[in-house]
Amino acid sequence: MISKESVKYSIKNLKKRKGRSLLTIISILFGITTIFIFVSFGLGIYSYVNNFVTGSTADKITIMPKGSGVPGLDQTFALTENDVRAIERTPGVYQVEGMKWGVTEIYQPGARKYAFVVGYDPEKTMLLEWGSVQIEKGRNLKTEDRDMVVLGYNYMFDDKILPKGLDINDKIRINERDLTVIGFFSSIGNPADDSQIYLSNDFFSELFPEVVGYGMILVRADISELDRVVENIEKSLRQSRGLEEGKEDFTVSSFKDMLESYTSALDIIIGFIVMIALISVLVSAINTANTMVTSVLERTKEIGVMKSIGARNSEIFKLFLFESSLLGFLAGVLGVILGATLTLIGETILFQLGYGFLKPSYSFWLFLGCILFATITGALSGIFPALNAARTNPVKALRYE
Amino acid sequence: MDEKKNIIVLKDVAKHYSMGHTIIKAVNGINLKIKEGDFVAIMGPSGSGKSTAMNLIGSLDVPTKGEIYLDNHNICHLSESDLAQVRGRKIGFIFQQFNLIPNLTAKENVMLPMIFQEVKEAEREERAQKLLETVELKERINHYPSELSGGEQQRVAIARALANDPEVILADEPTGNLDTKTGEKVMDFLNKFNEKGKTVVMVTHDNELAQGHAKIIYWLKDGKINKITKKGKSGWKSIKNGK
Repeated sequence: MISKESVKYSIKNLKKRKGRSLLTIISILFGITTIFIFVSFGLGIYSYVNNFVTGSTADKITIMPKGSGVPGLDQTFALTENDVRAIERTPGVYQVEGMKWGVTEIYQPGARKYAFVVGYDPEKTMLLEWGSVQIEKGRNLKTEDRDMVVLGYNYMFDDKILPKGLDINDKIRINERDLTVIGFFSSIGNPADDSQIYLSNDFFSELFPEVVGYGMILVRADISELDRVVENIEKSLRQSRGLEEGKEDFTVSSFKDMLESYTSALDIIIGFIVMIALISVLVSAINTANTMVTSVLERTKEIGVMKSIGARNSEIFKLFLFESSLLGFLAGVLGVILGATLTLIGETILFQLGYGFLKPSYSFWLFLGCILFATITGALSGIFPALNAARTNPVKALRYE
Repeated sequence: MDEKKNIIVLKDVAKHYSMGHTIIKAVNGINLKIKEGDFVAIMGPSGSGKSTAMNLIGSLDVPTKGEIYLDNHNICHLSESDLAQVRGRKIGFIFQQFNLIPNLTAKENVMLPMIFQEVKEAEREERAQKLLETVELKERINHYPSELSGGEQQRVAIARALANDPEVILADEPTGNLDTKTGEKVMDFLNKFNEKGKTVVMVTHDNELAQGHAKIIYWLKDGKINKITKKGKSGWKSIKNGK
């Protein structure tokens, strides 16, 4: 029976040894906080990835040329209009869109930056679906739009890309031409994608005549047969480009594939960090055991007194076990509070830095799990000291000074 | 024969400790019968085995040899937990050093033995309150031991000893750490308890204290009962060893 008095007794004992209790709590707390932070960010990334798997990105297949340079910019094996036609004829393919990629210098007084320029087909919505983005401000491009540009999210703000943020109808100079900003995309969540410049394919060719091929072809396919469609596309492209199997100069991958390799890498990284945190909790468990051993020694006489007034061994055991569990519990509660605070701060900082997709996700089970884990750690580390306390010989204990 | 029942009986009890290769016979063959309502003092110089005897009587320790009956039950073969239960119910301890739990208030200290007997909370509170009033500490109920004088602490200890309405109070040098006047007050409470028909066993080396309050004195020497003296109408008279 855990009575009100024994709870009070334990709390008073922890309070009396404030410094030591606090150090013990802190030692468990760090491990718990680390676990909380990484698991919550891990969950956040998983749910971000999951949005793609279930969202508008899920039915997309990407075809990229192989090359030694920056993907999409290397013209060695550029994908051609011919390839687009071949893909369009492939069974299971619903829609195809080729995108052209280039690099440009952009200026503002006191700043000279390089930016990726993407040419796309504004009549098709695939690019928007693929990146899960919408128009944040202004409007989307039309095929016939010339000298007009849609910008990534980060261009709206001062000091993110350019010293001064841009607005609708502002001008931006690309390849010696002043283009009018007509819209901004919403945030994709990482600084690279949010710094891109978008043109219609036709105007892109006018501005970048040297870019002849597509940097990437996006395909919307039958979601129930993605793997087969990927194979079909590979076959079609081999035919259209006259290549043997195994000597492809392009890669075809469904988003699902990419996510799978991504999440399994993520599993390993998070697993590894959580394992290190678990080791730190294990070390702190030893520390807690040490605290409890000292605490039992200090209270030898008290144990003797309690036994003399009728405390059974089991009650002494429970008393000390409760105390170490309480230490663990307090560390757990403080650990998740600290963890939640740090992840919230981290989220804000990462968002400022443009990594909006890196955000923690909290579940009730994460909170409960961390607190429970800390409590169990406390309890386990208290078992041996509590057993020692319970087995104390009352006669010797009463004589103990 | 006395019609009163025997509350504590020691039959040929011995307690030996081994220290390295030598065996110390702290208690070496004690026979005694303590009757209900007695006020017994166990006297003896240090090293005479009186503390060991007290531990045995109080079921804190089990004998190496012999048998101990508490309220007609042989307690030598009980498990540690059962022993604790018996102790908590039938015996109240008072120690020379008071031995209150420093982190608990006077009231909480008195409630503690009742927790171990699973007395309900409301009853625990009520009884602790009453007991502390009995020992005239009504005003000090929520004070911690460190805030109480020695005499007050010992009175809390008495209240705690009485918490489970025991048959026997075992007092180990109860006035040893108190001045004469405070000691007398503590002894008054023990006397009152005895007058209600309860048994008091007191261990002391203070002859005056023993003769002033006890009715029977067992004199211990070298782990054995050397003599037994009994208070009669005409003063103390020696009777034989109760074998």
